[in-house]
Amino acid sequence: MFIKVKLPWNVMIPAEAMDPNGLMIQRAVLIRLLDAFASKKATKDLGYFIALKNLEEIGEGRIRETTGEIVFPVVFSGITFKMFKGEIVHGVVRQVHKSGVFLRCGPCENVYLSQYKMPGYDYVVEGNPLFMNQNMSRIQIGSRVRFIVLDIQWKEAEKEFIALASLEGNNLGPF
Amino acid sequence: MSEKGGKGFKSSLKSSYGPRESKYTFLQDSDEQIQGSSAKGGKGSKARKSTLSKESQPLELKTDKELPENAKCLMDCEAFEILQGIKEQMAVLSEDPSLKLPVSFDRGLEYVKYGRCYMNPQSVRQILEPLKKHGVSESEMCVIANVCPESIDEVFAFVPSMKGRKDKISEPLEEALMKLSKLKRSA
Repeated sequence: MFIKVKLPWNVMIPAEAMDPNGLMIQRAVLIRLLDAFASKKATKDLGYFIALKNLEEIGEGRIRETTGEIVFPVVFSGITFKMFKGEIVHGVVRQVHKSGVFLRCGPCENVYLSQYKMPGYDYVVEGNPLFMNQNMSRIQIGSRVRFIVLDIQWKEAEKEFIALASLEGNNLGPF
Repeated sequence: MSEKGGKGFKSSLKSSYGPRESKYTFLQDSDEQIQGSSAKGGKGSKARKSTLSKESQPLELKTDKELPENAKCLMDCEAFEILQGIKEQMAVLSEDPSLKLPVSFDRGLEYVKYGRCYMNPQSVRQILEPLKKHGVSESEMCVIANVCPESIDEVFAFVPSMKGRKDKISEPLEEALMKLSKLKRSA
């Protein structure tokens, strides 16, 4: 699910980047903020950082005496993406194994759908490995699949989420 | 860690960001935490052992309890409108190498490009907003818009948290789905 969030951050501008007339402050702040936002991959609470929407406020700058850098407190709104347990989402199959498939759901590359959570589907090798059911519905690399999120886990070191998926339920599966 | 403004912070600029005289104050201690990034959007993160839930409770969406206070959910069609707008602006600004998009942007846009069923998010919101007075939460509303249900049975299957209010909301939900079906984008 996409989330719109309002966040207060501090943006630091090195002294050499400041325009002598002080007229390009907003541009300098925005560029630094965009850079900081782009470098921040994801957080546990908000999910993956997708886009910065609006720079809402720039507060008064404060000079760091030791370094001469200027710190601007800013408030901005951003868009993030996070999967929630119990949510119905969709993903694209990127790997097929005998035990299940790995899907990509938006920016999350690590969604695992076990064969035990694909009722009616069996592993088949038709040139390429895939899962198929009695109605000839296929789950293979590139298939877009609607699933329910069984569980989700945050990996602090990699700044990534991993998720478990299931097709147990009505209207879930490839579409 | 995120510093919410700190001492001496004044939100003195309005959204038009007209020219103004800047005032600066000197920071006495260099311990003040500076970051280009905030660690938190709201609730404190607590280290948790990540294990699969072994409870046999039904799998219900609890987004409203898990979202920080300063955050709200968006429907996929709303997110598409925002992200597409940003992409169009970046196409104009892309000559400036200092302007960067997050690495997840393209994947996020791809997700909503294929997933959304409605072209007009404002109309969808107008149709679903009245369900709030029948107890439907913001996140439940977003899930309904995202899954494009054909019938109220589908809604209750995809959003089991609403089953308990079936008697109360079936009728307004039926009405909303009928209006939504007219908005579905053609394949």
